[in-house]
Amino acid sequence: MSLSSRMVIVLTAVGIISGGLLSTVGILTRARIEANRLREIEEAIITVVPGAKTNTKIYEEKDFTVYTTRNDQGQIQGFAIYTAGTGFQDKIVLMFGTDAEINKIFRLTILDQKETPGLGAKITDKEAFLKYWENKDCSHPLMLKKPPVAQEELGASEVNAITGATISSEAVLATVNASLAKLRSLIQAGTIQIEENNGQ
Amino acid sequence: MASKPLSQEFTKGLWGENPIFRQLLGMCPTLAVTNAVINGIAMSLATSFVLIFSSLVVASIKKLIPSQVRIASYIVVIASFVTMADRFLAAFFPPISKNLGPYIPLIVVNCIILGRQEAFSSKNSVGRSLIDAFGMSLGFTLALLVLSSIREILGAGTWLGHQVLGSWFEPWIIMILPPGAFLTLGILLGIIILIDQKLQRSK
Repeated sequence: MSLSSRMVIVLTAVGIISGGLLSTVGILTRARIEANRLREIEEAIITVVPGAKTNTKIYEEKDFTVYTTRNDQGQIQGFAIYTAGTGFQDKIVLMFGTDAEINKIFRLTILDQKETPGLGAKITDKEAFLKYWENKDCSHPLMLKKPPVAQEELGASEVNAITGATISSEAVLATVNASLAKLRSLIQAGTIQIEENNGQ
Repeated sequence: MASKPLSQEFTKGLWGENPIFRQLLGMCPTLAVTNAVINGIAMSLATSFVLIFSSLVVASIKKLIPSQVRIASYIVVIASFVTMADRFLAAFFPPISKNLGPYIPLIVVNCIILGRQEAFSSKNSVGRSLIDAFGMSLGFTLALLVLSSIREILGAGTWLGHQVLGSWFEPWIIMILPPGAFLTLGILLGIIILIDQKLQRSK
């Protein structure tokens, strides 16, 4: 056999065997990987909207997904908004929950971030950052308090910035404010409709 | 080379030819993922899996592969095992997979793995190649463990997530940032060369 045909045969064989193995592995793991992703979102929704029993995806576009959540009686509990914004290093993916009138933010959680460890990465820390987002008035755009003050001294729609990580704090704030505005305009335009009594 | 005793084929990966401290190979994952011990362990396990299985396959099929296409064939073999490791982590250990991000797929271009195939598995028997791969894997794992332990303890006051230094300790954040990786590696390399010189002299 000539050298060139041996080269072709060997490379083809290696490629075919490898491709076959990989598609098997892909098929075996795909369902689990997808389930992991869904479970992560499910858990985040329960975190950001207290008392949420069921949720329905009602709107989706790139980096912006809206879920309605209902309690065990089937009443609308509020919205869970999955969104992403530009942080200091990379995208910050987060989720927050609001009441049905979009007047109040229940909670905020960070799903993915690559901010500076020890500084910007504190946006995932409950004590340093996330607790200030609990039960905030969001009928007006939220504002950042800098330097941070005690929790009691914060205004109804003020949240503390992280010392040394203003960019990361601002990134979260801007992402949330932009998402709130977008959600309101989508409801106003009738793109998102909520059927209040459609609870199963 | 084939005359070396088998035990030496194994131990050379730990000290004399340690892939990190002596050969200075695979620096990208070494520096990038050693900010926490758990990441170091996951990276070591994934790399060891790929190295051991690639060595096994390459040593078994070395006679079939024309030398002109050997690198291409090795890379396909390595990439297949890397993809398997990547999918496995994503399916069963999603948080670790998230932490390691792009560094698992990047094992494909880790020079330790291709280096061992080219320098060893393609010239030695299957058994000898496996012993070499196990030794190199263990050497890599030990190096990553030492690096990540130093960085996590000094940078966060924890080891494998457990608090080991008291609240008096102010974490040196720089240690879990990229410069901490270079500092730690440089100092360790210096120490290892010192020890080695001492050993040589006492011989």
